[in-house]
Amino acid sequence: MSLRSAAASRNLLYLLSMKELRTRYKKSVLGWAWSLLNPLTQMAIFSVIFLYVFKATPPIGDPSGLKNFPVYFLSGALPFNFFSISVGVAIGSVQGGAGLIKKVQFPHEHLVFSVIVAQFVTLLIELGVLTAVLLVAGNMVLPWLPGLLLVLGLLALFTTGIALALSAANVFYHDVNYLWGILSQILFYATPIIYNPATIEVRALRWVANYGPTGSFITAIHNIVYDLRMPGLGRVVQLSVMSFATFFIGAWVFNRLSPRFAEEM
Amino acid sequence: MAELALEVDHVSKTFRLHHEKANSLKQLVAGKGRNRFDDFVALKDVSFDVKEGEVFGVIGHNGSGKSTLLKCMAGILQPNSGSVRVHKRMSALLELGAGFHPELSGRDNVYLNAAILGMSRRDIAARFDDIVEFSGLQSFIDSPVKTYSSGMYVRLAFAVAINVDPRLLIIDEILAVGDVTFQQRCLEKFVEFRNEGRTIVLVTHAMNTVKDMCDRAIWLNHGVVTGEGDPAELVEQYTEQMLGGMSRGDDGSIRRGSGEAQVTRVELFVNGNPTPVKRFRTGDSVRIRLHYSSAVGVPRPVIGVEIDLLGGSTVSAPCTRDVGLIPDRLSSSGYADIQLDDVSLLPGTYDLHTSITDFNRSHVYDHLQVALRFDVMSGRPYESGGIVTFRPKWTIG
Repeated sequence: MSLRSAAASRNLLYLLSMKELRTRYKKSVLGWAWSLLNPLTQMAIFSVIFLYVFKATPPIGDPSGLKNFPVYFLSGALPFNFFSISVGVAIGSVQGGAGLIKKVQFPHEHLVFSVIVAQFVTLLIELGVLTAVLLVAGNMVLPWLPGLLLVLGLLALFTTGIALALSAANVFYHDVNYLWGILSQILFYATPIIYNPATIEVRALRWVANYGPTGSFITAIHNIVYDLRMPGLGRVVQLSVMSFATFFIGAWVFNRLSPRFAEEM
Repeated sequence: MAELALEVDHVSKTFRLHHEKANSLKQLVAGKGRNRFDDFVALKDVSFDVKEGEVFGVIGHNGSGKSTLLKCMAGILQPNSGSVRVHKRMSALLELGAGFHPELSGRDNVYLNAAILGMSRRDIAARFDDIVEFSGLQSFIDSPVKTYSSGMYVRLAFAVAINVDPRLLIIDEILAVGDVTFQQRCLEKFVEFRNEGRTIVLVTHAMNTVKDMCDRAIWLNHGVVTGEGDPAELVEQYTEQMLGGMSRGDDGSIRRGSGEAQVTRVELFVNGNPTPVKRFRTGDSVRIRLHYSSAVGVPRPVIGVEIDLLGGSTVSAPCTRDVGLIPDRLSSSGYADIQLDDVSLLPGTYDLHTSITDFNRSHVYDHLQVALRFDVMSGRPYESGGIVTFRPKWTIG
């Protein structure tokens, strides 16, 4: 790729991402507040169910000693929502880009990348709010933020890989779109967001919550922002290998399929 | 030898026409993984080169594979075999404003659209003012494009596309956008492009544009290149074929029509001389004789001729109906004469086409393109230029 087209390509990614961000809450009064209202509502609902219906004990941060279910929930739900929404929106973005794909030659993967970038920016804003909440709750999370960003970077890589593969497959079989709706729900409950994995008695289930693809990410994030400690080396290695592998497999699938997009759409 | 801008090398493209395309996994599984389909050959072994600085036309009827070829050249579709090599910075205008977002302002859309067409941020910033000026939308540029009229929308899109600064521009049938003023500006822009030595590939149904603008053209017919070369000739052949079944004589004449009556021979006599000739002088008396045969004796026929300057405009096209000469029925064979006294044609080569039609001139029994090609040599009066003489009488006061 020549320098000129590399600059053009970067520019396209930037502008597509800006479009994603700018057009998302057009014509809505609350605008960006909506991106926070959804997880906050979820938090309220699950907090009531967890604390008052099931009368469960919130997980205790080790070594932070924090014992606060709403904070526990938010720190897991925000990154998970980034993952599941990004993939869903990316699938729709490639499908919705048919008019463009059929008429102009351009790097199709930018349709996916721009979604991830825009969603990641949203996530960072949400995490800014979460940081404030954590500080109020008494967790001095600031020194841990670089570690958090590192894990989030891996999560973005992992998300991009899944989004590339599924959005490409969806061009050929639209079921992928619907399948993702179901799959992301299953993943939500397989991830320790509304429960404490330590309390699971069935070993296999506890293992999934701890080391399943999304479970491992969220556990690592809980470690950092809720417990205030670095995740174990094994987990960091697992997440790194999984993220890079997923990204490269997703990119490979996408590159294989994207020359046929215009014809299939 | 001029540098090549674009090479299309043995390109074939086949589409699968699915009878019932399995677009979901369930259908795929239920159909045991089998899809019923036919192969449709859209392009078959298409090869041609476009040289740098050339205006190259692609003509063909609907469904001839023009659009597929265009998309292959633009890199949107991948050929099944063969290759397309683009040597210059290319911009393909298949649809104007692809990727415009209605909620974004004109300004944002200019940036986004230009980026999609492959421009860097710096390039766009440098050309932004030109783009806005060309579109003529200065006062609307910060309004969302959803508030634009369709004309404004297209003008902005075209302004972006034309300012991408391509060395090779591929255009699909988009000259017919906007109002007359804007069309004029588009045309000027194209001429400017051509004069700057940029390469243009034009796919269009507007035959006059092809004749006027293109240096070379190909004719695509059912995915196969049927002709390549001089645009005027190709357009003529193409038009002939589009108008009806045709057959080509040994002398280069092209015949079409239903055939109940036919012009069999055309003769030219000069100044009462009984030997037919193919040349005469300005001012001669000429008799054109059309021999015809008519097996069924068509009713109320109209016989006409058309005299064209070689490869160009029509000089005169008289027919029998113009003078109220309408026989009830054409006899099985005979001839029609046209007497032209003191011919006004100036020196040059001319083509004579003949036709026999029904009274309404809607049904063509016979049309013979280039039934006769003749030369006019200089005679009296003499004029140094032009096609016809008005026999001017000069005075200088």
